[in-house]
Order: sequence, then structure tokens, then C-alpha cells
Amino acid sequence: MTHRTRRAAVLLFVGACAISLSAVGQEKKDTKAKKGTVPPVPVANEPRLKPGTFPTEPGTYLSGELIVVDPINRRGGLRIDGDAGGRYNNGPLHYFALLPYATVWYNGAPAELRDVPLGTHVHGYFHLPPVGEEQTILPLPAEYQRLAVKHNHAVALEDDFSYYQRRGQSWKVLSVDLKKGKLDVAPTGKLVKDGITEKATFDIDTVTRVWNNRRLVDLADLAAGQVVQLNLGWSQGARDKEFTVSDVWLDDASRAFATELQRRRHVRYQQQRWVPGWIDSVELFDFGGAEITITLFGNMDPSLYADLKATKDTGFWVAAAENTLRTWFHRADRKVGKVLEWKEIENPPPGSSGIQMKLKFAEVLEGYRAGRCVRVKCERWAFVTMPPEERVKSLDDVKRSATLTLP
Amino acid sequence: MNRFAALLAILLTGHTVRAAEPDGYESVALPFFKVHCLRCHDDKQKKGEFRLDTLARDFGSQQTAERWAEVLFRINSGEMPPKKEPQPKAEELGKVAEWISARLKEGEAARMARRGPVAHYRLSRDEYGHTVHDLLGIYFDVTVPGAFNDDPRWHGFDRIGSLLSLSPSHVERYYRAAETVLDRAFPAQQPKSETVRRSADDGKWKDQGHAGPERWLLWPDSGRPVFNVKTAGRYRVRVQVSGLPSFKGRPPHLALWHNGLKRSVVGRDVLAPEDKPGTVEIEAFLPEGSFTLRNESPGMFSDGHTLSNTQFTFRSIAATRQNRPTGYQLFTAEGQTIYPTLMIDWVEIEGPILTDADKQKRDDLLPAKDGDLVAARECLARFASRAWRRPASEAEVDRYIKLLQAELKAGESFRSAYRTAMVAVLTSKNFYYLEEGEPTKRRDAVSDWELASRLSYFLWSSMPDEELFTAARTGTLAKPDGLRKQLARMLDDKKVDRFTDSFPKQWLQLHRVGQFPPDPELYPDYDKWLEQSMVLETTLYFGAVFKENLSLREFLVSDWTILNPRLATHYGLPALKETQFQHVKLRPEDHRGGLLTHASVLSLSSDGTRHRPVHRGVWVSEAIFGRTPPPPPPNVEPLEPTPNNKPKATIRQQLEAHATHATCASCHRKIDPLGLAFDNYDAIGRWRLREQVQGGRGDDPLASARGALPNGRAFDGPDEFKKLLADDLDRFAEAFVEQLATYALRRVMTLDDAPHIKAIAAASKKDSYKLRTLIEHLVTSDLFRRR
Repeated sequence: MTHRTRRAAVLLFVGACAISLSAVGQEKKDTKAKKGTVPPVPVANEPRLKPGTFPTEPGTYLSGELIVVDPINRRGGLRIDGDAGGRYNNGPLHYFALLPYATVWYNGAPAELRDVPLGTHVHGYFHLPPVGEEQTILPLPAEYQRLAVKHNHAVALEDDFSYYQRRGQSWKVLSVDLKKGKLDVAPTGKLVKDGITEKATFDIDTVTRVWNNRRLVDLADLAAGQVVQLNLGWSQGARDKEFTVSDVWLDDASRAFATELQRRRHVRYQQQRWVPGWIDSVELFDFGGAEITITLFGNMDPSLYADLKATKDTGFWVAAAENTLRTWFHRADRKVGKVLEWKEIENPPPGSSGIQMKLKFAEVLEGYRAGRCVRVKCERWAFVTMPPEERVKSLDDVKRSATLTLP
Repeated sequence: MNRFAALLAILLTGHTVRAAEPDGYESVALPFFKVHCLRCHDDKQKKGEFRLDTLARDFGSQQTAERWAEVLFRINSGEMPPKKEPQPKAEELGKVAEWISARLKEGEAARMARRGPVAHYRLSRDEYGHTVHDLLGIYFDVTVPGAFNDDPRWHGFDRIGSLLSLSPSHVERYYRAAETVLDRAFPAQQPKSETVRRSADDGKWKDQGHAGPERWLLWPDSGRPVFNVKTAGRYRVRVQVSGLPSFKGRPPHLALWHNGLKRSVVGRDVLAPEDKPGTVEIEAFLPEGSFTLRNESPGMFSDGHTLSNTQFTFRSIAATRQNRPTGYQLFTAEGQTIYPTLMIDWVEIEGPILTDADKQKRDDLLPAKDGDLVAARECLARFASRAWRRPASEAEVDRYIKLLQAELKAGESFRSAYRTAMVAVLTSKNFYYLEEGEPTKRRDAVSDWELASRLSYFLWSSMPDEELFTAARTGTLAKPDGLRKQLARMLDDKKVDRFTDSFPKQWLQLHRVGQFPPDPELYPDYDKWLEQSMVLETTLYFGAVFKENLSLREFLVSDWTILNPRLATHYGLPALKETQFQHVKLRPEDHRGGLLTHASVLSLSSDGTRHRPVHRGVWVSEAIFGRTPPPPPPNVEPLEPTPNNKPKATIRQQLEAHATHATCASCHRKIDPLGLAFDNYDAIGRWRLREQVQGGRGDDPLASARGALPNGRAFDGPDEFKKLLADDLDRFAEAFVEQLATYALRRVMTLDDAPHIKAIAAASKKDSYKLRTLIEHLVTSDLFRRR
């Protein structure tokens, strides 16, 4: 099935979905909530992801508020937007797992789930579970089955700031009513394909943080005519598509500063845990060692790739990792590979950095198998011991963390 | 005119003392000296206080030889003639350097072969070990630390009498060795033989609900401590084991590893399916200490942390494949073993085993009753006569009886005193020296007793047995028929394996195999067992030529060899199904055949990173042609690695650019082709079409094995080169006889021996140079009886 015909099928099946659900690349025509629609379901023959291969399609768009997270195993639950079947106020959480190459964005920079405050409204693209990982997110109880969304493996998750700014859309303040606590905005710039692309009214209150010139300012500094980015959260109106603004950035300096702070956090996190990727192929030698080809996952801060490239002559430390990107005791459970090749592919598929490298190892870990995840360290980054809850400690631990266990 | 000037005048005017001059002096050396040397180094100028015109030409004199070596050094280094003087052509320089070098070699040989009325040839350490075994049925490992040092070698031979000197440390070691040997032969109480079994499983696996019994999984370089040997001796070890080859077919090597010595004492390749384990039985002499069963196969498992993650209770591949991702990877995705792998069920050791044959050797050496001095004298006389390989005289035995009595007087027990006398017999020079000749009488032939020892140390590396002693005692050995009969018997004895093992090692200088361990980065699949297998191929090949009495031609060209699976894999030949060394038929595309393409020979002449054609050429010249080329000039610049910005160049190309010095060029023209003929083999003897070059840019260049022999006959590749050698079999045969005689007579051959060597080779030619026949001709020749 081609992209276009599948999209048509989704549109046909879902109809004019009032909730913020759309199939791949679907243009949003109407942002008003329409009741009584059903959540998206897989179309016939929808391709399934396989370990070791990146998706060829962007995935199914879903948005909602981030309600629970398992930051260690990169999983969580969304209260997804849209009220089909009375879902918004009565439905189950949409539990999800991040694909190993999935990227989370927060404040315009790459992030981890732990960086995104609970309650933040996010946009994501989701796939059906990869082959063999159907049990990662267990099926909902029978009474919720009619509301279940089977696309529960995310390839991307972004807060509103990141989602709209990265795609070129901003909000122009039309009016501010502090008494009623209402902010009227209209989209400006390059409109997104999925998300809000029409005038909207959001709640504001004394908890809303307003940023200007890299500082917190008063709510009263909000004024009509300003072009802003904002992050959204739950609204006490408790109605679908109603949001309260948690943060609003009035100027470029504030937005850049917020992005920079998150970027630093992300860089530190990856330097400590090492840049993730997976193994494309392994050529074993029966006298010991192997030549292993690794593709690094995408959307990391460019400085991380630059560090690796600049130090490739000294070889890389490669730790075996799980699908959750957790490692065991990575500072010791790793081998050093000598870089034989370093290739940069243009227009890589979603999830890939396009950086592929062939390393020669004198010793081969069990985890060095095609399709398995690894994390890669360069000489410049210090060895750090991870906190115990992050480390995988046993095969039982692997089993236990194979399935999401959240309320 | 002083007398030196007079001598020079005589020389220059042609009034030569022709008979006294070494060959070639007048035709090669003198004309060169006249043109290039004597103008300064004569009686008038005496530059550097040195006169060449009067330099003696008695190369047999150490002092003279040293002065000529200095002359050669100055010529070779390009220092002489000085740059401002007319320079000789490269060929002229080469000829004169070669002439001096050859004379120095002859002088050295003459000095080393020089014999007084009595010649002493100390036993090599291997011979010592074999001798105490054949004397008392005791295995004494001469290679363990603290036993004996490596013997000095002359072109590979470790039994040259003039090199095997005796130092105080030798005496000390002989004393300690004698004590150890006698303690083992005559313990206060004979240790009881017992059988002990250790199992991987406790037998309760069914009760415990496991999928199968536990097995010890041994991946490369891993081991299981299995037992301690408290008393050194002969033991029988049985192991039930599955041996799974690597996914590429390489078999695992089960080794019995001595933890103290840190080396394998004995080993075997094992191939047996996981569900059908086989039983390996090994009988060997084991020294005291703790032993580990080890998988001695290549593979990198050096990280203790990773190993700790790899440990698990192993039952079967299917049941135990799931492993931590942080442990070592052992199985392919399809469940095949990545590395040669062993799975052991149990190991059993039985011993120490005292065979009847060994017991018999000691039976009549101890007096039955304590205090019986008459019996003690008889026993000591018997022991000394055997140990010294000739009848001990009454006077000699008296000395040892006096020693015994002195010990008794000092309060020692009879047994202790007797043992002291026995130690004295084994520490006597009569034991560790082979003596030929008499101090009071000059004789040119060996005696019957000496002949018996010559024969037995030649073929058995050990003392004569009782029958050979009897032949010497009765005089039948001196008769041609008697000698032939003994020779035939000895050649059929199992102990002749020592000759077929030892002689090729010495002749071909196989001790150099592994001397420069190959760089693991460049040759990651090289390991100790491969190294041992390389040497075994050559010695077993020699043994096969010997046993089948084939022609010497087989050493140069053949369509067969002796391989085990490890070497077959190394050579890229089809996998072998049996694990032991076996006769393998070669195809032309295998590019093997004859000794020269054995991995042992090809790697001994390489260094740890690359093949060295010049060294290969020198080796061919020595081993095949029996000629040692002149030494290289001093301070030769080594070949530099190819810079990264230059195209990759073969060593041949680098050598061609390198040999710019006239003297170098003249010699290299003769040596290099002999080695370049094998440029299709890398540093560890694998066939290749391209030479792997570190550094440089571009593809690895094609290897070229073209060249021409010094006689101008051209060849393209090792096959053509070997055929040229085989076409000149007479020359090789003479060189081979010289090597064999050097080994047998324990001395360097001289010009005086040359006619004998030629005669032996000529006699052997009638029988197509068959090896056993050639040995017979050597043993029955005058040369063999000359002292």
C-alpha cells in the first residue's frame, strides 16, 4: 500500500476525527472537537517495524498531555487529545514506549522523558509495536478496548514549544484578558501539518510563567501583537482541546536561552550515558574479534557527533545496551573498537543520524549482535558510573523491564 | 730490506709459496689488494700501523682470523678503500669479500673441529634427558626452569662439542639433576598407583529437574583445574569430551596445562559432536604440580570483568545460549560455536604407572641387603658401566666404594651412602661427556665402545642399549656385517623417532620458529598450537621420508605433506575430518610440497610483522646449498615503513631501492633471489597473491616471486624455483650429507672431510639418494669411524 492510499484509508476510517489524531501527514482542516469518533486503528497491511531497521514512514500523529513516565525505561502514558467515545474525560491513558531511536524534544532541544514536566502537552508520531515487541505495552482491559490506540511506539515526542518552533509556526497574541484569564492567539509563520493551525484561546493564570529577555516577567507583560512560543497543559475547564499556558516566551533571546539550557542538559546526559546507535552487521572471526558496523541514532546535538568524529582515530568504547537504551555497567561492560570506516549518509531515514561506522574489536560481547542497541563513547568524555536504578543488573531485570508496568 | 718486505717481494714477483696459500688468494685476493690496498698498507706507508702484505694467511689461527675479519669489516662498511682512492667495481668488491669470508669460515671450522688425543663432547640437555630415561626409566624434564639452560647452537646444531663447554653452574645443575633422577628412580617407598576421577556433574541432575548433566564449557584459552600430581611419573589421563569446531571449521585443542610451568605438557585436537562425546586417552610423563584442562585455541578472552559476566552453569548449547549481553559472545545466531569449543564431562587420571620395562632397568642396581658391600660393588660397577657407556675399571669403582664407606663412617645409613655413590656416578664427567680417544695413545679411529655411543647418540640421542653394548663388547660391531645389523635394528627401533624429530629441527634451524612472535594485530589467528603444528609438520614429514625410505628429492618437491586440521585451515586446504596429523595429498593449486613451503620454514625466516626475503635467502643458502653467505656490513639502515603519502611498495621493491652500496649489491644479487622465490608466502607461511603493506596509499601490491639463480637459470614462482633445486639434486645431497655428518659426529665439517662427504653422496646416488640408504652409507663410511 502506498503512502497516499494508506492515508486515504485512514481518513476514510477515522473520518473527521475531532481529537488531535491524524494519520501520517494528514492535513488538519478543523480543530474543533467532534464527538463520537473512534481512535485510529491500523490499516490493512500496515508495515511493522523490525529490530535493526528504521521506519520508512513518519508514523501516526497523536497529541496529548504527558501524565505518567517511566524515565528509566523511556515509557509513559498520554491523555490524548480528542473526545471520541467520551475518551477525554473517561478514557484510559494511552501508554507508549519510545523506540530506541526516538527523540524527545523539550524547549526546542533534544531531551529525555525525564526532562519534560508531567502535564506537559506533547505531540508525537507513533508506530505499531515492532515485531517481537508486542508485549512491551500490554493491551488495555476489555472495557477500554474500543478506545485503544494500537500505535504505541513513539518515534518522536515534542512539547508545543519545540513542535511549533522547529516547524516554523509561532503564535501572534491577538488579545490578553487578565481578568478572565484568556489569551487569544493566531498561528503565524509556516503552518504545521498536524496540530493547531487556527485561532485559539488558551487559559492563563498566575502560575503561567512569562519569559522575556531571558528573565521571568509579569503576566502583565503579555500584550497583543507579540509573536510568542508557548507550552500548554491541562485546563480546569476539563474539556477536550482546552489548555492552560504553562510558559510563554516573548522574545528570541528567551527562547534561545531556554533551548540552550536544555541542549546543555541533553549533551551532558549523552556524554554520561554515551550516544546510542545499533548494530547493522557483525563479521565474526573464529580466532577472536569481529568487524562490526554501527549506525548512530539521529537528532543528537551536533557537538556529540563532532566529538566522535574528531576522536575516531583513538577508537570508541561501545557498551551493550537494551532496547530501552539502558546499559548494564557501561563503564566496564564495553569493549574498545578501532575505527576502520566512518561514513555519513545524506537524507537518512527517521531515527538515523546517517553516521555509519565500521569498528574492529579484539573481543566480542554477547550484546554485539545485528539489530541490538549499543551506546558509543569517545575519548573526550569521562567515565561515569550510572545510578543503580538505571543500570540493568541481571537477566531477570531485563525480563522485568520488558513490559511497561505503570498504573 | 726487512723480512716482511722480502716476503712481499716474493709475493709480488710470483715466487709464491703456492702450497701454503689458501685457494684463490692469488687469483682473487692478491690482484685486488695490489690495486686497491697495498699502496698504503705495505712496508713503506704502513697506514694505520697495518700491513696487508705481511698479514698471515693461516685462517685457522684465531689471532689471524680476527685481523682478517677486521679487513672484511672495513671493506664491507665501505671504509676501505677510502673515497678519495679509485673505487673498485661492485663485482670485484663482492668477490674479495666473499673470498675472505669463505676463508674465515674454513678457519672457524678447522678450529672447531680441532681434536686433541681425547675429544670431549658434552651431552646436550635433550640427550641428557633421553639418557637418564634409557638408563633408569625416569623422565627428567630438562627444559623446566632451574634444570638446564638452552645449549649454545652453531647454525642450528646444539650438539657441537667445541661449543658445549662446562661451567661451575653446569656442575651444580648436574648434581641437582642427579639427585632428582635418583630420588624418582629409587624412592624410599614406591608410590601406589591410583585412579582419580573428577566429573563436571554431581549426578543428581535428574533429581534436581535439570535439562541434562552439567558440563564444563571451555572456550579458547579457558581451563578447569583438574588434579595435582604429587609424584612425577608416567600417568594415563582420560577425558570424556565433546569438541566442537568453530563455525569456520577450526578444531579445538585440548591441552593438559601445568600451572607451575605455565605451559601445555601434552595436547590433542578434539572433534566430537555435542551429543556424542568421545574419550581422549593420553599417556605421558607428568612432573609434580597442579594441572588444568585447557582449550588451547586462538581467541581473545582476556578481560576478567567480561569473563565474570560469561560464567554460567552449562548443560547444552540449546539450554544455555541465553547469556548476558555483557558476557563474551560464544555462539552464532544459528547456535554454532564461534570459537573452537570443548565440553567436558569428566577427567580421570591413573598413575604413577611403573612399567615392567622401566622397572627392569633399575632391578639390578640396588643391593638386596643393606650392608652388603660386595653386592654394592657389583651394583655400582654395573651402574657406572651403563651410565658411562663403557666398562668401568676396577680402580674407578674403587673410588666410589671409598666414597660409600666414607659416608657410612660419617654416620649415614647404608642406603643413603649408596645413593651418594650413585649421585657421584651421574655427576662424573664420564657420564655427561662422550669421550673419544686416549690420553696416552694417539689413534685416528674410534673404539668399539665409542662407536656404539656415536651410533646411539646419532640415531637415538641416547646411550646404547644392552644389545649394542654386547656388540661392542664382543667385537661384532667393528665388523661391517655386525655394524650393518646393529644399524638396521636401531633404525627400526622406536627410539629412532628422536632422530627424526631432532635432526630436522637442528638442520633446518626450527628453533627459530616463533622466536619473533607474530604481531597479533596483523596475524590474529596465530597461536602456540599453530606454531607447534608448524614444527610438527616438518619433523613428521622428515619422519615419513625416513620411514618410507624416500629420496632426498622429497625434501625439495613433493605432492604430499603431513598436516593436522589446524594447519590445513592455515594453508586454506579442504578441512580434515580426523584430528591427528595425517598424510595429505596436495594439488597444484595448494602451492605446497617439499620442506621449503612448510609454514615452519617460511615463518622462521620472518620477523613478527613481515616476511624477510633476505633471511629466507640466507636460510636456503645454508640449509639447501650448505653455504653461509658473508655477513652483512655494519650499520645497515633498516627498511623504513612506507610513508602514508607514498604508494605501497613490496619488500622486494624496497630492497631494490635499498641495495645501493656496491658490496651489498654484489651479495644481495646472490642471496635475494633464493628468498624472493617465496614472496607468495606471508610471514606465517600463508599463500598470497598480494603483499599486505602497512602504510602507504593505494591497493596492496602484487607479490612477485620471479628471479634467477646465481647460475643464471630463471624462475617464476616457488614451484619453478623448487624444480630448479631438485634438478640439481647432487649439490643438495652433498650439502645434506655435510649436515648429517655434523649432527652425527658432533663437530663442524672441514675441508679434510670434503672428499668423504662427496664419496658418501656419490654412493647414495646409486640408490636415488634414499634417506635410510644415505644414513647407512654415512654410518659405514670411514668418516663415521674417524675421530
